[in-house]
Amino acid sequence: MKISYNWLKEFVDFSLTPQELCKMLTFLGIETSVVSGGANWTNVITAKVLNKQKHPNADKLSICTVSDGTKEYQIVCGAPNVAAGQTIPLALIGAVLPGNFVIKASKIRGVSSDGMICSQEELGLASSSDGIMVLDENLPLGKKLEEVLTDIDTILEIEITTNRGDCLSHIGVAREIAAKLQKIPALPQIKTSKCVDKNIVDVKAKDLCTRYIGCLITGVKVAPSPKWITDRLEKCGVKSINNIVDITNYVMLELGHPLHAFDASAIGSNKVVIRRANDNEKIATLDGKTHELNSNDLIIADAVKPIAVAGVIGGEYSSIKDTTTEVFLEAAVFNPGSIRKTARRLNISTDASYRYERGTSWEIAETASWRALNLISELAGGRVEFREDYCIPENKRAVINLRVEKVSKLLGYDIDEKTIANILRFLGIEINSRVQDVLIATVPSYRNDIKEEVDLIEEIARIDGYEKIPVLTSSSGVSSAVSSCDFQLTENLINSLVGLGFCEAMNYSFAEIKDLDRFYLKYSYKILNPISKENEVLRSSLLCGLMKNLEFNIGQACSDIKLFEFGKIFDDKGERKVLGILMSGPVWQPWWKWESSKLNPVFDFYFAGGVISNILPSKEFMISENRTPAKYYHPGKTAAIVYHGKVVGQFGVLRPDLTDAVNGEIIYAEIEVENIEKIYKNKVNSYEHIAKFPSVKRDISVVAAKSVKFEKIEKIFKNVMKDGGILKDWSLFSVYESDKLGKDKISYSFRLSYRHNDKTLNDNEVNADTSKLLEKLNKDLGITLRN
Amino acid sequence: MNNINEILKEALDKLKNVGLKDTAVIEDIENIKVEYLGKKGKITEILKTLSSMTIEEKKKIGSLVNEAKIELNTALENKRKEISNKLLEEKMKNEKIDISPAFSFSFPKGHRHIISKTIQDMSNIFVSLGFDVYSGREIETDWYNFEALNIPKDHPARDTQDTFYLENSECLLRTHTSPGQIHVMEEMKPPIKVIVPGRVYRNEATDASHSAIFHQIEGLVVGENVTFSELKGTLKLFINRLFGQELDMRFRPSHFQFTEPSAEVDIKCVLCGGKGCRVCKGSGWLEVLGCGMVHPNVFRAVKYDPEKYTGYAFGLGVERFAMFKYGIDDMRVLYENDLRVLRQF
Repeated sequence: MKISYNWLKEFVDFSLTPQELCKMLTFLGIETSVVSGGANWTNVITAKVLNKQKHPNADKLSICTVSDGTKEYQIVCGAPNVAAGQTIPLALIGAVLPGNFVIKASKIRGVSSDGMICSQEELGLASSSDGIMVLDENLPLGKKLEEVLTDIDTILEIEITTNRGDCLSHIGVAREIAAKLQKIPALPQIKTSKCVDKNIVDVKAKDLCTRYIGCLITGVKVAPSPKWITDRLEKCGVKSINNIVDITNYVMLELGHPLHAFDASAIGSNKVVIRRANDNEKIATLDGKTHELNSNDLIIADAVKPIAVAGVIGGEYSSIKDTTTEVFLEAAVFNPGSIRKTARRLNISTDASYRYERGTSWEIAETASWRALNLISELAGGRVEFREDYCIPENKRAVINLRVEKVSKLLGYDIDEKTIANILRFLGIEINSRVQDVLIATVPSYRNDIKEEVDLIEEIARIDGYEKIPVLTSSSGVSSAVSSCDFQLTENLINSLVGLGFCEAMNYSFAEIKDLDRFYLKYSYKILNPISKENEVLRSSLLCGLMKNLEFNIGQACSDIKLFEFGKIFDDKGERKVLGILMSGPVWQPWWKWESSKLNPVFDFYFAGGVISNILPSKEFMISENRTPAKYYHPGKTAAIVYHGKVVGQFGVLRPDLTDAVNGEIIYAEIEVENIEKIYKNKVNSYEHIAKFPSVKRDISVVAAKSVKFEKIEKIFKNVMKDGGILKDWSLFSVYESDKLGKDKISYSFRLSYRHNDKTLNDNEVNADTSKLLEKLNKDLGITLRN
Repeated sequence: MNNINEILKEALDKLKNVGLKDTAVIEDIENIKVEYLGKKGKITEILKTLSSMTIEEKKKIGSLVNEAKIELNTALENKRKEISNKLLEEKMKNEKIDISPAFSFSFPKGHRHIISKTIQDMSNIFVSLGFDVYSGREIETDWYNFEALNIPKDHPARDTQDTFYLENSECLLRTHTSPGQIHVMEEMKPPIKVIVPGRVYRNEATDASHSAIFHQIEGLVVGENVTFSELKGTLKLFINRLFGQELDMRFRPSHFQFTEPSAEVDIKCVLCGGKGCRVCKGSGWLEVLGCGMVHPNVFRAVKYDPEKYTGYAFGLGVERFAMFKYGIDDMRVLYENDLRVLRQF
């Protein structure tokens, strides 16, 4: 909201500059900034041009002799409109104009100049000007310009938090200033009178309208407003319409309460009904639109039709026109939630609805009504035919108990009762009585944000200043609970992946349906109100985002893609955290030394498997047949990751038709981190004694039918090891296929590691054990030793 | 006898000259060894004459010869070391390689996302201050996101949090991490001291300083004597540790429905030190977080006794901090995942 600095001064006497005021208000909780105007200069005085001569060396310049009443100055001036006899603003040597422009003694084309005659633009009083500013010739000379220009003003922009609707007016801001400076704000003079009550107001929706003051004024002359009103409206960004409408707006800007003026001749059968609209009832409003109403909307109606959407916007039909002579003036208090609901549904935000949504005061409603009546009779003539005031008995000021010790206890510093009482008094909060250490505070109705004790404590802290609250760095104890999940696991996974050269990506949680379709993915959560297609659904996999990143980076001529992301996915199982890993292209960026060592691997299924087994927190995670592979995987190149029989993720090569963007394969893994966190929580690898006796290595090569699943061989090894024999470890170091082996045969080479816990093994013992293993492989799987 | 001393002197002199010329020096040492200590060496020859001497002479000459042998051997060994060191130095000198391409060995280096890193840095600080970490849900109900936080339906406070709603459901995407406060208080008993880092959603168009998705860290401390003063202290420690310097801070009164009193916190601009720059829009201050004392209505919503407990809460935007700290001027950069950007941090 725009606030006039000068207008504030009508209500509270203060000597702060606009900048100082902004700072003070900001530290009271109202963010304030200067938007325009003000006297942003120093050392500019009133002076008279005594004579004007042509500059000898420049056609467009003149040399003026200027007097401040006691002293004469020679000024070189370039403005065409400068003339002898004018009273003008003179910036003296050392003056500072807006934009930190400092006036210095200078020579212009060989003639010295003792200052500058200013234009409005140079003084920051207008955005552009044609020549120098010519002042009223009757002004005294040698005076500070800001002292004689009584109509210069500064416009402030204030931002109000949602709880402080009471500050949306000049009186509201003035009250804040007064409270901080410990002054009593002055209110405008209100004249009240006794009026007839004709009982035409009928409040039907008693829950939504708690006060309604209606007045009929006859013999009104609608005309343009006087300048002092239009000036102030303009400063606050409100368009002038006519004197009646302008007065309602003026009073709203002054006191903060919205008013509405109807053309009384448009109100049929002399009835004003405040009721809920009927479904499908229509009204043409001041914004030139016709709105359809429903039974949630509060309206002002005559006996038959709506004449205004209560608190939001008036009807076109009942608006004040040039021909209007009878005015019905409304000052009402409506339910904030109801007004907000209607305003949002109709997509209308007016100065009135903005204030009503934030809550209005039943007391200010009355003041505002009288203030507007006074101004109407003063500026538009007319006489009050009748005045009716509907006010529910529940309209009372809130009474709140405040325990003095509670203030210090919550804020953490000692603040005495005298200070507390003083702060509250200047906020208009009365302490009428006290019971022991409890102050009984009565809160003015415009402070509808103050509902309980803590609200009063906030007021005390705010006015006393948050800077007074000490900084206590020795803080209270620690939480009694243990983390809800194992963050260390995520941290370890990130560290491992980063160590392996992977970069962490972060994508939006949204997806487009067409992108999900591309990867054969379904969605489970659709956004009801997306801003664009890009966020129509929640992602059900991290793949879409990571693939977008891959394609983007390949477009930037980057071929080695190693990305991972931790994030929530949303599918039919709900919301859960997963880890997605995407890899493609060379494992390493090209380097000349790789050439000679022929070390240029690219990512494939097996390399990816190595990465995954490397990052998983224990050897208990294993590969198994992927029985329910995601559809985006190549069905022959995918595996499940299992932990004690429980699937915790899958990985594989993406279907070739999804990978047109790259040469070679793309491998994607999606791992259920939350699952692992749950089953793996608090697991610690316990210490195993290091063997005292050396191990013996044996390499064996075997031939198997291709139809034999490798996992079956693996199982035999594991079972043998589990039996506690001397076989302690094994690894696969070569896989070989050739016709020489026979049709559909494959050869595996293993390195076996044997060790005895209590002695050094000899060859015979090792050979015997190897033979036993080979026998088992042969018996169970038909595997033979390769010659 | 003189003979032995002369022979020894002669050998040591020869040895001294070895290496003054530059070729075949190790061989020269070997040659000297053979010439004096070899089978037919000059010293060995003297030993051979011992048999024709008296026992007295044998003892005397024998020990003299042995001493000469030891001395010569030591001298030979020292010379060998000296020469081989010299040769090694020379060899290494010749092996000097061009070091300049070494840093162009692009060993694969991984990088953590700047937001994930910032969340981790911040969480570590809070953990060091005794906070526990709680992870919240992203799909929430109106109750957790608004009602329990004292933001009733049709309250203007909802204007500032444009919300994504889910179709065919009562649920929404959380607009802040504050619903974490409610979950934590429902699941635990005071004393509570937790942070809730996480992703939040706002239904607004994306531009350089707005994003439909960003991250927050919520803090909540509840106990029997928790004060505003302690809130100030905790945040001061956090800011100082995060930026690694004593930064001026100021608390301004503000309003959040779920805290009372509420404050907004500004820190002295980290880029210009308070002189005023583009980032702080000339004010010298950066608005970095909101905080306050937990509103009694929030305690009532989780059935805590507001008479018994007080608490403080705060919420900060991770992206905002990261952008200040690393000088990032466009929020969209954070979610593009351009490897040229990811690899910078």
